[in-house]
Amino acid sequence: MTHDRPAKTAFGVLALFALPLVVGSTYIQHMMVLWAMYALLALSLNIIIGYLGELTFGHAAFFGIGAYTSAILSIQLGLPVIIGPFVAAVVAGLFGLVIGFVALRIVGPQFAILTLGFGAILHTVTNYWVDLTRGPMGISNIPSFALPGLEIDFTLARNMYYVVLVFLLAIAYLCHALISSRTGRAFLALRENPQLASSIGINVFGMKLLGFVAATAIAGLGGSLYGHYLRVITPELMSLQYMAALVIMVIIGGKGTIIGPMVGALVYVGLLELLRATGSLRLVVFAALLTACVIFLPGGLVSLWRRVRDRRRTAPTPEAAA
Amino acid sequence: MEFVVFVQQVVNGLANGMGYVLIAVGLTLVFGVLRIVNFAHGEFYMLGAYITYYVMSLAGVGYIGSLIVSTLLVAAIGILANHFFFRPLRREHEFTILLSSLGLALLIANAAEHFFGADPKYVTTQYADETVELGPIVVTEQRLLVIAVAFAMIAATYWFIRSTRMGKMMQATAQNPEGAALTGINTGYVHAYTFAFACALAALSGSLVGPTAMLFPTVGDWAVLKGFIVVVMGGLGSVTGALLGGIVLGIAESLGGGYVSLGFKEAIGYAIIILVLLWRPQGLFSASTDRK
Repeated sequence: MTHDRPAKTAFGVLALFALPLVVGSTYIQHMMVLWAMYALLALSLNIIIGYLGELTFGHAAFFGIGAYTSAILSIQLGLPVIIGPFVAAVVAGLFGLVIGFVALRIVGPQFAILTLGFGAILHTVTNYWVDLTRGPMGISNIPSFALPGLEIDFTLARNMYYVVLVFLLAIAYLCHALISSRTGRAFLALRENPQLASSIGINVFGMKLLGFVAATAIAGLGGSLYGHYLRVITPELMSLQYMAALVIMVIIGGKGTIIGPMVGALVYVGLLELLRATGSLRLVVFAALLTACVIFLPGGLVSLWRRVRDRRRTAPTPEAAA
Repeated sequence: MEFVVFVQQVVNGLANGMGYVLIAVGLTLVFGVLRIVNFAHGEFYMLGAYITYYVMSLAGVGYIGSLIVSTLLVAAIGILANHFFFRPLRREHEFTILLSSLGLALLIANAAEHFFGADPKYVTTQYADETVELGPIVVTEQRLLVIAVAFAMIAATYWFIRSTRMGKMMQATAQNPEGAALTGINTGYVHAYTFAFACALAALSGSLVGPTAMLFPTVGDWAVLKGFIVVVMGGLGSVTGALLGGIVLGIAESLGGGYVSLGFKEAIGYAIIILVLLWRPQGLFSASTDRK
């Protein structure tokens, strides 16, 4: 049943690498970069929503912290852009450590409200600390991504796509490795039943903190790449709108899986473009999709595909029996 | 002179705070009776304010008449929202219900932006420009109206929950849904009734507070955040807590905005939620510690 999975994965990875060679349109290549970035962010949020089983409403703030850290380092200190994503991940992870350390003592809806509060404070501070962040005007003219010693133009969508894709695949592999490990199984155990998990010696708080810090660090990394690609960032990155967009991707695609959030990001980016003509109505479509998924398809689009596959597999058996 | 400014800030804060109380009482009732943390609650505030605006400007009805129409219409919308978004998920995990409410909030807010337009609207009432002077303190009639109606509604809510048959059914459902159902209470009916009542309170708040500020389709986000802050302060499920929490938040913001800075004013509420959830998760004004 799973023996063909490595082959399928290898095929998928190769296809992702070959895609820009086939698709010549820079417009579609730009969409592909956005997809890869959102997929990276959705994967990070999935660690909290899908594996730890907690709903956070503050994730966009860590994305913003990463974007601002990297932009400020490269503009004000003149540091090479290549170290930006890593420093951004560390800074966002440190914020995640402090906030997670206080917030993870609380579970359920109160945790969601608490993270909403932390996210809103970070958003407010970014908006009002004009000396550092230039306030609501945002930071523009952020240097684009660069590799030392190489003359590659990363303002081109195709080149940037490969950078983001490498990070995305690395994170997707790390998520896979995590969930196949003892630590990952501990995450799932505490998601299903925290008391039981605790009774067999799992440090529930420590495990949750580990997952939360990992997720926030990856969000920071994604924020850094986002800033160096679009080259303009504003405090809006931390707003409720981005938070909702990330939640929509994870839920529509399928929480608790690796392919799900990536599919969700594809649906988000794709629909956003297809529905551009409908103007503000497109956000209504997303909201309706989110609600429909929550009510009718709790496993997301991935579960739909799985359902079809299982039906196809089981269908011939009654005939064989008859 | 300084003292006069202080009292003026407190009175303005009380008016804002009573607007918060009306939002928060509905939020806390929906949590207490239906066990839903309703992220979409602020959208009913927004709808209340907008419907008042449209009934006044399109149908030419007076302000008080529009306010009543808007409150009743939003209650009806609340019944539908509960039926389609929360009723099917009654047995699901709280996580799922919270997500459904997030979807509902996005749906209403974005539909409102599409149909009402993103440009600000102004609800003009005859009370917004008239002032009343209480010695050196100057208050607009609109603010006095907010304070008076809100206190009257809270008193009516208390009476309703304590003394009427439906109020007692709500209490029973909040304490033990299975037990309530066993004694013959139609809990589905109680849920719909409570949800509609909560939405009506939010709409009333929107209709009352709307004329004191500009009206945007995104005002629901603001309203639900204020509601959460108040409810967390007062304890989820407690009506008295919501009353005290709303007044404290309104006055704290007014004083913080007046004496420190306006940016700080927005952060006060969030700082309050974080401190309260960490220090007393059951709420500042809640006597019991056993409430989940």
